Amino acid sequence: MIYFTELENLPMYGVKGEYLGRLCDICVDPSQNSLRVASYVVRGPKKNLFCITHEQLQSLSVRAGQTSVPREEVRRYAPDEGLLHVKKDVLDQQIIDVNNRKVVRVNDVDFDIQPTDGHTELRIVAVNVGFAAAVRRLLQGLAAKYTIRLITSPFPTKTIPWEFVNLIEPNPARRVKLRISYDRLAQLHPADIGDILEELSPGEQKAVIESLDDETAAQAISEIPTRMQAALLESISPEKAADIVEEMPPDEAADVLQEMPPETSAEVLADMEQEEAEDVRELLGFEENTAGALMTNEFVFVGDAATVEGAIVALKNFEGPLEPIHVIYLVNSEAVLTGAVPLARILLAESSVRLKDLSEESVVSLPSHADKKEVVDVFHKYNLVTLPVVDEKGHLLGVVTFDDVLELMLNRK
Amino acid sequence: MNRERFRHWRMKLVIFLAVLGPGIITASVDNDSGGIYTYSVAGAHFGYSLLWMLIPITIALIVIQEMVARMGVVTGKGLADLIREEYGLRTTFILMVLLLVANLGNTISEFAGLASGMSVFGVSRFVAVPLGALFVWALVVKGSYRIVEKVFLGACVFYVVYPISSFLTDHNWSQALMGTVKPSFEFNASYFYMVTGLVGTTIAPWMQFYLQSAMVEKGIKLKNYVYSKWDVIAGCFVTDIVAFFIIVACAATIFASGHREINSAADAALALRPLAGHAASALFAFGLVNASLFSASILPLSTAYSVCEGLGLEAGVNKRFHEAPAFYWLYTTLIVVGALTVVVLSEEMQIPIILLSQVTNGVLLPFVLIFMLRLSNREDLMGKYRNTRTFNIIAWVTCVVMISMTALMLVSAFFPARIPA
Repeated sequence: MIYFTELENLPMYGVKGEYLGRLCDICVDPSQNSLRVASYVVRGPKKNLFCITHEQLQSLSVRAGQTSVPREEVRRYAPDEGLLHVKKDVLDQQIIDVNNRKVVRVNDVDFDIQPTDGHTELRIVAVNVGFAAAVRRLLQGLAAKYTIRLITSPFPTKTIPWEFVNLIEPNPARRVKLRISYDRLAQLHPADIGDILEELSPGEQKAVIESLDDETAAQAISEIPTRMQAALLESISPEKAADIVEEMPPDEAADVLQEMPPETSAEVLADMEQEEAEDVRELLGFEENTAGALMTNEFVFVGDAATVEGAIVALKNFEGPLEPIHVIYLVNSEAVLTGAVPLARILLAESSVRLKDLSEESVVSLPSHADKKEVVDVFHKYNLVTLPVVDEKGHLLGVVTFDDVLELMLNRK
Repeated sequence: MNRERFRHWRMKLVIFLAVLGPGIITASVDNDSGGIYTYSVAGAHFGYSLLWMLIPITIALIVIQEMVARMGVVTGKGLADLIREEYGLRTTFILMVLLLVANLGNTISEFAGLASGMSVFGVSRFVAVPLGALFVWALVVKGSYRIVEKVFLGACVFYVVYPISSFLTDHNWSQALMGTVKPSFEFNASYFYMVTGLVGTTIAPWMQFYLQSAMVEKGIKLKNYVYSKWDVIAGCFVTDIVAFFIIVACAATIFASGHREINSAADAALALRPLAGHAASALFAFGLVNASLFSASILPLSTAYSVCEGLGLEAGVNKRFHEAPAFYWLYTTLIVVGALTVVVLSEEMQIPIILLSQVTNGVLLPFVLIFMLRLSNREDLMGKYRNTRTFNIIAWVTCVVMISMTALMLVSAFFPARIPA
């Protein structure tokens, strides 16, 4: 194991022992091999930069490096966007530690030296974010490498294996060249991705969101504060924003569109699929901080003559996410709310039982213009998980779910 | 048509009020207990004749503050973050240690200001300082960013006591106006000492870190930056208008009376009592208490933010204690040490600490200013928002003047010139 702090400024020599210069950066070529060091950037005595390829490296140690070719054969360094520069792109930058679901700053990079048929290869193993690595950076060049290892050995080390490191590159073209993908990040729980997003600057947030698929992006965005959601969606193209908003729960989508300037939200709405846009538009009509603005219009309802079998058919045909569904609502022929049946009762009943008989005695509901405070009070008083919202004539309009109320309570503090 | 225009303006006003905060708060904290003392001495010893200094000072303040505010909005990152990414861990670490030392000293002077301000009202420092420290600590640990910002904005409003207090004195507006527009020079040590003091108190390193972080935390959008710029400019003007009234109040009374010796901002408040009445004196002292408390909460907060940011540790008012332990420990330690020093040590014993903090501030300032100038010229960071050529010329001149003035102030702090009584 060798650290970047020990490699930086390493004297490099040619095959005949001629001095080439000092090592100043190490490059990886992700299009070839994401772990192997592809080339070594060396600063010559006249400040000119050379580039030693990995085949040209004969040997490497904490003391010096030597090439297998004479100085004349070492080519000049030419900047290449497709190369990942350890010092420039990784050291001191923020990265996403997918394993621990955190954003951290890199203090040092760890390598492995591997002798491979006649030359030496360096492999990138991990990034180091621990205290020991920070001390190593502070002492770098001020004491002998051996002494530094001795001094830092008692301090805690913290490394993140390279495969769990997600670099954040705001430039989309370079992201493609460096083959940065957020596949592993996308597998995290959306709430964790949301937490990570909150730690990033707007440019970096944009980079991450643009590379996630629409559904994951929508779920992750739903987890960050609405103002941040709006700023983020405004910064990406309206088409992409529309694709993401489509995937968001309609009540979240309505909240974020309300936060955006009218022109932008109109543009996003216009780019959305007809059906989803309709759902969101409906919710946008309600005044802020009322039950109408809090509710979602993704809920399951059936006619009050239906049986348990009918309820199960309705659930099967329901297109929205099933997780928030806890209650099936009953409406009469005029779409007026008449009953509510918890899923658990349906689960235990025979398929021919009429839902009306399973319904609660009296259904608690609120009109759409009710204040959010009233919503919280009703939830508390009747121990609700979901609350139906109706208009003046009792027509069922939507449902407020428990998670929205919880958020309301937390924000009030 | 008219209605539409009205709506347009109302919309603009709403956005402005929404982004308002960081600029005004930062500039107001600039008028902390040290600032008030410096302005009081300027008025007490030189009457209206140093008022003209406020114009170049305002310009310098605007130039520098606008630059960091812009960096915060464009990059979405704090100054310590940018320095870390650009200049590496070691440079950042040294800067952060210096900032910590400088700001600890600054915090001590704020608590000292609180103690002396409250002493005007007959409250002992053994009561005032611990209570003040507790208030300041609880505000940040228990409150959220929005609440904290509202309290801070409220504190800004209280600076109005200075204009009121100066209206209560027997001032001379025509002389004050003359002093403001007509530069006058004296060639002696004490005049020179005063000028460097005025300049040095205006731009401190911590302000740049604080303002940029506040911009980021507030999440100002790029398209609303125009409004933030006005927030910054308004802040700089308000600050120096307050400074103007402090100088006028002291010039109209202490300078005019002939007994011009004052050793602290509280001295100025006491001196106002026989000359301008109880009300003016009490207002003056109240302003000092407000400014000290205000700065005593922002300084440790901004320090904890910058240090954690730069060293890659978790930070944020919205995080809990166990999520960001380094952040909260730093914040708590700064307040406790700052307050304890003032309670335990006598005023003479505090002098070397405050001197040390002045030196570290002075050493830090050139680095911070030069890093800022270089960062705000980087195309990959700032894109089309990087400094223009004209702006660069003004900014470099300002920075060079600031740096040399600060250096001179440091020298003179060690060889204090005798100020004629």
